[in-house]
Amino acid sequence: MDILVFLLHGFAIALEPQNLFLALIGCAVGTLIGALPGLGPVNGVALLIPLAFNFGLSPTAALILLVSVYYGTMYGGRISSIVLNIPGDEPAMMTTLDGYPMALKGRGGEALGLSAVASFVGATVATIGLTLFAPLLVGFAIRFGPAEYFALFMLAFATIGGVTSGSFTKSFIAAGLGLLLGTVGLDPATGVSRYTFGLYELYDGIDFIAALVGLFAISECLLLLEDRRRETATNQELGSAIPGMKSARKCAPTIARGSLIGFVAGVLPGAGASLGSFLSYTLEKRWLGRKGDFGNGDPRGVAAPEAGNNAAAGGALIPMLSLGIPGSGTTAILLALLLSMNITPGPLLFEQQPDMVWGLVAALFIGNIMLLVLNVPLVGLFARVLRAPSWLLMPVVILVAFVGVYSLNNSAFDLYVMLAFGVLGYVLRKLDIPSVPVVLGLLLGGQMEFNLRRAMSISGGDWSILVSSGISIGIYAFAAALMAAGLLFAWWLKREEAGR
Amino acid sequence: MTAEASGAAPSTAALGDRIAGAVLALLAVAAWWHAQTFVSGFRQPVGPDLFPRLVCVPLGVLALYLMCRPGLNQRWPRGVALLRQAGLLVVLGGYAGFLESWGFLPATLVGSVLLIRLFDAAWRQALVSGVSLTVILYLLFEYALGIPLPAVPGLGV
Repeated sequence: MDILVFLLHGFAIALEPQNLFLALIGCAVGTLIGALPGLGPVNGVALLIPLAFNFGLSPTAALILLVSVYYGTMYGGRISSIVLNIPGDEPAMMTTLDGYPMALKGRGGEALGLSAVASFVGATVATIGLTLFAPLLVGFAIRFGPAEYFALFMLAFATIGGVTSGSFTKSFIAAGLGLLLGTVGLDPATGVSRYTFGLYELYDGIDFIAALVGLFAISECLLLLEDRRRETATNQELGSAIPGMKSARKCAPTIARGSLIGFVAGVLPGAGASLGSFLSYTLEKRWLGRKGDFGNGDPRGVAAPEAGNNAAAGGALIPMLSLGIPGSGTTAILLALLLSMNITPGPLLFEQQPDMVWGLVAALFIGNIMLLVLNVPLVGLFARVLRAPSWLLMPVVILVAFVGVYSLNNSAFDLYVMLAFGVLGYVLRKLDIPSVPVVLGLLLGGQMEFNLRRAMSISGGDWSILVSSGISIGIYAFAAALMAAGLLFAWWLKREEAGR
Repeated sequence: MTAEASGAAPSTAALGDRIAGAVLALLAVAAWWHAQTFVSGFRQPVGPDLFPRLVCVPLGVLALYLMCRPGLNQRWPRGVALLRQAGLLVVLGGYAGFLESWGFLPATLVGSVLLIRLFDAAWRQALVSGVSLTVILYLLFEYALGIPLPAVPGLGV
């Protein structure tokens, strides 16, 4: 009952003209960013953070804008998957498998319409899940002390990246590097300067946002310079998106299954949307067996991954908002936004800033409807943008990033930080070391250290406090179980790929 | 977007992993060693040096493991691609360096034209879109958002 009251209150906030307008802008820009190959949810949202700051928005409004962008990119990613056979972003990879064959058969419009409906259902299921489960998790987490929080951070690092990248060593190295970089600056507890080497610009630590934009947007540009994708302009008639509605009804069971699988994948730490779409496609294929014609333009092969990745994107917001532990790259960036605005997500956020949390949840429901409208009748408009020349697109991205980051602190030093992280991000990608754990380390390191030191001062230096409560032991056990599941999954993936 | 998706095939010779492992192991040792300078006057059970050192241990061990047992790497760039990437860094580094001393308009104009050229546009296209991009960004930040950008010395714009 409480939830309903809070949610109604949230709708009152989300329906304020400014917030409604921001949600609409966010949805449209997000769809656009998602559709453009090379710009996905992570680098799209990273790119817009400095702008959101510069607009001088309140935290609630900024969060509504960026989360609408986030949901929008998940919708948009499918457009270039279907039209160009190039995934607009990583979670849309699975959509190429049946989406492009459908487009080749002249059913591109239908595929776009169907996938929009599937995305809508997936995202709505996830948003309902967020409404129901986040408060439950908060009720549980409110009892956490510093030792339990420390365990929670260990859980985040034990699982992030491990599931998707397949290499635990590299994920952990990345997390370690991020944590180490996170200690740069003045130690908040004692004022001792750490690894600043006399550079006063580093006293406040490495600027999250400059680092993020570098890691994701600048490294993407470096990658593009080396491997320019040939623009495969399609002359296929897309056709109307309306028949997609009809085939969506036929695919309803697929969409329902995909949404549930995606949602679970999204809530689990360290998984995120790519896993959501991968699992829902693969399991649906397995489920239908010979009844499906997957890989040759089966509409269900479009519906499953699109429901899955959108549901996962929404699910990933649950641990970020209720525990302060992001489950994916994009939610990590949203966390960076909140931290930079001096807001620490976690159970207290729900008590202290209910307006923000519930306003955001309501904005997600509204944004979803906007996205459905934007993506069924207007999808042709977005598909046309794909023909924008890349020689213009990337410079625009870089310059917006540059001016945006510069004007955060009016500091040219931040620009150098951004460039350095751009090179780091590029090298990491070449080494197949995931960058998301680096971000997590950078973001969560401060909190993790703070909780460790608080726990230690409570116990007077006795390490056993870290494992003295049932909750923390439970969290460590859960982390171990998830790691084992990750290993099993990596093994299964290898076998599945060998068999394909 | 992973590099794999952009079409670069993974190569099996993972020399990059070995080098990265060695560099990171050195970094971990250096960071551990440097942490001894983090001395505070307070008496606490846990000082400012503990957490960085705690991170250095697994980082160093795993980096050594990576050095001995490297995994897969993506293909490294060569020739023209490498030159263009270096070009991007030089242009952006220069832009960052000159932004404040030249002012926003000239620095962005030169930077954007060079950038667009780097992405293979013709000079004409680069000039036209560079100029318009500069003007749009200037109007957007200076007037629409009300954020002052570095002015050209002596001119006040």
